[in-house]
Amino acid sequence: MVSFKKSYPMTNTQELPNNTFSPKATLFAAAAATALLQACRKENDIFELETPILAADNSSKTKLKTNEQFINILYTQLFQTAPTEDYLGALSTILTSIGDQLLAREIVIANFFNSSDVQLPGNDVMRSDIGSFVDETYKNFYLRLPGAAEKAWVTRFIETQPDFTPELVYFAFALSNEYLFY
Amino acid sequence: MSSRRDFIKKTGLTAAGAAILPTILPSGRLFAASGNRSADYVVLVMFAGGVRHQESVGKRYLADAQPGQSAEGNLMYNMLTGAAPSSQILYGTGNGSLPIEPILPNSLQSQGTLFNEVRAFNTGHYGALNSILQGADPIGQGLRIRPVAPTIFEYLRRHGGYAASDVWFVGNSVGASIPLLNYSSHPDYGVRYGANFFAPTITFHPNSQTYIGDIKTYHPESEWAPMLQLKAFLDSNFSLSDQQLDALGNTTDEKENIKLFMKEMNLRTTMGTIDLPPVSDSADTYTMGYAVEVLKWFKPSFLCVNLNDVDVCHNDFTTYIKAMHRADHAVGHLWNSIQQIPEMAGNTTLICIPECGRNAEPNAIVDSNGFVSFDHSDENSRRIFALMAGPTTPANLVLGSEGSSVGQVSDAMMTVADLLGVKEAVQQAGYIDPSAQSFFELI
Repeated sequence: MVSFKKSYPMTNTQELPNNTFSPKATLFAAAAATALLQACRKENDIFELETPILAADNSSKTKLKTNEQFINILYTQLFQTAPTEDYLGALSTILTSIGDQLLAREIVIANFFNSSDVQLPGNDVMRSDIGSFVDETYKNFYLRLPGAAEKAWVTRFIETQPDFTPELVYFAFALSNEYLFY
Repeated sequence: MSSRRDFIKKTGLTAAGAAILPTILPSGRLFAASGNRSADYVVLVMFAGGVRHQESVGKRYLADAQPGQSAEGNLMYNMLTGAAPSSQILYGTGNGSLPIEPILPNSLQSQGTLFNEVRAFNTGHYGALNSILQGADPIGQGLRIRPVAPTIFEYLRRHGGYAASDVWFVGNSVGASIPLLNYSSHPDYGVRYGANFFAPTITFHPNSQTYIGDIKTYHPESEWAPMLQLKAFLDSNFSLSDQQLDALGNTTDEKENIKLFMKEMNLRTTMGTIDLPPVSDSADTYTMGYAVEVLKWFKPSFLCVNLNDVDVCHNDFTTYIKAMHRADHAVGHLWNSIQQIPEMAGNTTLICIPECGRNAEPNAIVDSNGFVSFDHSDENSRRIFALMAGPTTPANLVLGSEGSSVGQVSDAMMTVADLLGVKEAVQQAGYIDPSAQSFFELI
């Protein structure tokens, strides 16, 4: 009978012989191994989000939003929460029942603004820095920055209309042709 | 160097050319309307859903439809002359045994002209509705797409110069592509010449008020006008073709008027004061009530209203005859209401026409009364009728009989075009059926 123990001694750290290499050599070997491992390791992938470049370009918007898209996007913008499926379906059907779709959308916006849950910037916020407000409004509604001429015109318009509120600015953007397209 | 004579000659030619060359009007037409308008108001009822000739104008009630049944009579006594059935009354209110009282003291048939046997082009609902509005058999007309050829709405607006809120289409639902019928996809016509549209069963349903019944009102000068000014600036930086926007061309004033109308309807729906027919327990009667309200408010030159409840005949004959009885009731209410609108009383022409009929033979479905049901696809489905009444329509005249039809479905649209002064323009456009003609030409 072959003795298993004799032929293949089990590893036992207590039975390991003492290290015969000098500390210097051991250190060198460890450093070499580390360097070798580092050299073979795949470089880490680094994922980053690029800052989107918003340009004053609207030429790529050629598709008319469906009623569902229009309601969904506008509702989310104004109420900071998405509409429920039931709400979206019901309001879309109602829009279909009105022949003039621009008029229908006007009615929807006017109903939204009658809600106390609409999240709008205050008039004082708009008036304190109209330029920034215009930039933000263009980004929110058009997903782009205003051109220099656009920004100048809208800023001047708000400045010269003291009773013009952020709600009316939002109404104009929501009703504008560019907002209907993507 | 040109002589004085050359100068005078060229100046004269230029002046003559300017006088002769057509002027492009805002409505898009080249010349001012040249047709003679012979009516101030026209109302077209698409008495639709597939009305079987035998039970409607044939006045055969159950006799030609149900095996073993012999009851005959006129279910549509507001529209047609003739005695109602005297037995087997199943089409009324309650359990069906109480017929609805007639609204009109004299039937529309006795006040106008009945085309007893008219030919339909198409036996599918959407194609057939299109054949009424386009005045043609719409070859290549698919479902769920807009009419391929111009509709009467567009002819009126483009060639007659009618304003958007002067031309209305009222549908009884948003299903079956009905909302697509208010304008075609034709590049020379299309949305800018479309009709205003409501589907009152949806638009003015009490539940809809949760969503659109709270329209915020803005001050027209200090708020609304500057808002529109800003919108106009924003729009000026985004170029569009004419057809890209789904906009009918309602002016700002027209839009405001429509919004006022909607507010009024929402309020009166809540209060229960809409001018509904005395019995209004169906989509058709409900729809007709709001069509009457559109007439009262806008007094449009042209209104088309679509009824559809009789389509239940595919699987429920009893409900079908109830629906037909109510559609007649709705038309009676419509005509009665028109006579109470001062501008329209005695000054309005009414045209009623189904889009298609129904089969001669039943399908396999039997309803709760054991009555067989009918689809619409065979030759019998091409048998329809047309009824006209109005100041220029001969009274108590009946034309056509079984086997000897007078008129075809496309003639309804041509009659509207004739009455409202765009018949020649429609003919010249070249999209109608070659044999389409005004019903007046058949009288």
